[in-house]
Amino acid sequence: MRGIIHSFKAALRFHDYKPRRLSLLSARRWVGQFEKKDRRLVEHLLDNVIYISESKTRQILVDQNAALMRRLLDAGLPMKKLIYVQVDDPGSSSPVMLNLLRDAASLERLGCKFADARDSFHLNKTMNEVGEGALIYVDDFIGTGNQFCEERNFAAKSFVGTFSEFLLAPSICEEAFYRIGELGIEAFTGHVHSKAERPLHANSSIFTKAEKDRLSLVCKGVNSKFGLGYRNLATMVVLYRNAPNTVPAILRGSLNQTPFQGIFPRHSDLPIRKIG
Amino acid sequence: MPTLNPNQPAIPQVIPTGHLRHLVPEEIKPSSNNPRHLFDPDVLLDLKKNIAEHGVLVPITVYQAPGQAKFSILDGERRYRCVIELVREGRGGKGGAPLTLPANVVEPPTKIAGLLYMFSIHNFREAWELMPTALSLKIVMEELGEQDNKALSKLTGLSDPQIERCKKLLKFPERFQELSLDPNPQTRIPSNFWIEALPVIDLALDAIPTIEKLGRDRATDKLVEKYRDRKIKSVIHFRRIMESYDLSEDDPPTRVKVIRRIEEFFLNPKVETRSAFDEFVVEKKRVQSALTACEGFLSQLQRFKLKYTTDDEERNSLRKALREVREYCKSLEQALTGSDDPEVPQD
Repeated sequence: MRGIIHSFKAALRFHDYKPRRLSLLSARRWVGQFEKKDRRLVEHLLDNVIYISESKTRQILVDQNAALMRRLLDAGLPMKKLIYVQVDDPGSSSPVMLNLLRDAASLERLGCKFADARDSFHLNKTMNEVGEGALIYVDDFIGTGNQFCEERNFAAKSFVGTFSEFLLAPSICEEAFYRIGELGIEAFTGHVHSKAERPLHANSSIFTKAEKDRLSLVCKGVNSKFGLGYRNLATMVVLYRNAPNTVPAILRGSLNQTPFQGIFPRHSDLPIRKIG
Repeated sequence: MPTLNPNQPAIPQVIPTGHLRHLVPEEIKPSSNNPRHLFDPDVLLDLKKNIAEHGVLVPITVYQAPGQAKFSILDGERRYRCVIELVREGRGGKGGAPLTLPANVVEPPTKIAGLLYMFSIHNFREAWELMPTALSLKIVMEELGEQDNKALSKLTGLSDPQIERCKKLLKFPERFQELSLDPNPQTRIPSNFWIEALPVIDLALDAIPTIEKLGRDRATDKLVEKYRDRKIKSVIHFRRIMESYDLSEDDPPTRVKVIRRIEEFFLNPKVETRSAFDEFVVEKKRVQSALTACEGFLSQLQRFKLKYTTDDEERNSLRKALREVREYCKSLEQALTGSDDPEVPQD
């Protein structure tokens, strides 16, 4: 009975996860894949997921952006001097977040500019037109910060003018927070994801060592290389749009969801549907 | 401050005077496009030792971009990096106080002043890609209304050939320039591609009616397609086309053949540069002859044991002749830079 209630709560809490909807049945099926002795532990792990729903994502982005805009206005920068920058390929999380924010905060009507960090040519042109202002990168979640820093450093070769730089993201790992800070980019975020919040991370004390070892072993059984997620970050933030690739493998499941079904499969983990 | 012509506004000062502050490294933002490889590690090590012993004696120059909490560096990146390393190694200032940098805080530079400052930095940088340089130079030319190479060289510190190369890049439409700023190195077209392709495109448009009809942009597209299809294995190979044309100057039947081959090269995607033009360039023999000529020239001059002459007119004539030799050798040496090996970076 306790297990059913737990799955019911999970299905309610994560109901708007986009890649695959979660129901009471699928939540039960997910827990049922583990050995009986591990189920309480797995449920405890699920309780530690920091889920950011679509409405919460929108709210964080809008609130953080409003705070940033106020500061920039006080510093004498009108809206038309703000360039919002997406930092990844079209279709990935950054442009989706930028679109969400653009519509929710009416950025276009306010006269803000938009650019793509990968399109250095147009970024250079826009910066040249604006002359002095702020570059605001937008993304959903920053894990190690490697990818973000690479994209930004490439774009920086074509920078022109005097610009302050900011990052807007609903959640940022503490590792990336400091790394981005070293580049002089100030992060505006709703949540800095600390290592202590990640039950399977070496620096966390949520689980005992024995519990950590046991679940790490189960994760490795699902994905021998990235059992604890990319770079062993073992992050616990899941966004409504997609889980980051840094979450433990038991949350994502196997590639094509076979043999192990995940509770938060990434789009790229799901089998491709045949058309026709 | 230099002005270039009477109608033009004065170039703003890059580093105006400011007020002095002592900043901890966390309050400072490194330059956004000033990569680590800019600095010689040995020189940096000496500076670091000096700073460890005496602290930072010469203030760095910083400004605060509007809305930014940190101060951006205008001058003093090396001192800043030494202090960062010392802090990471656990070193502190006197009496256990945190290490600080004296900093002259100035107003943010104007766009053009910032650009000129970046140019002054990049004169020391080995591998700054040419396309961003060209785009920055374009802004300088537009803002200051200056086109003259000598004046631009004085302003930016770029050499005359560098400016010429940038101007060649800027002759291409923006959609082609963008291809050299592709973040993916696998699909990026190197800036040198445009520089080497330009004379070939000019020649083809001028000498071949079908290519003229095709138009400059479509002709350029054809070359880009060929490069992506690895039918132009190295951008240096464009020189074979020009050489084939130049060498056939006194041989009309061969000249006709070369022009036909160039036309085929543009229109047939399968034709590869070397296989198409090698027959017109008897390269090995010419290089050997040039080597022998160099050796002969040197040994003959040395044999004269010339150190002085009392005749001023003769002296001036000889100096003029030597200058001409030097200029020609310099241009030839520059033309021969790069590698024929497609694996060697050409940019």
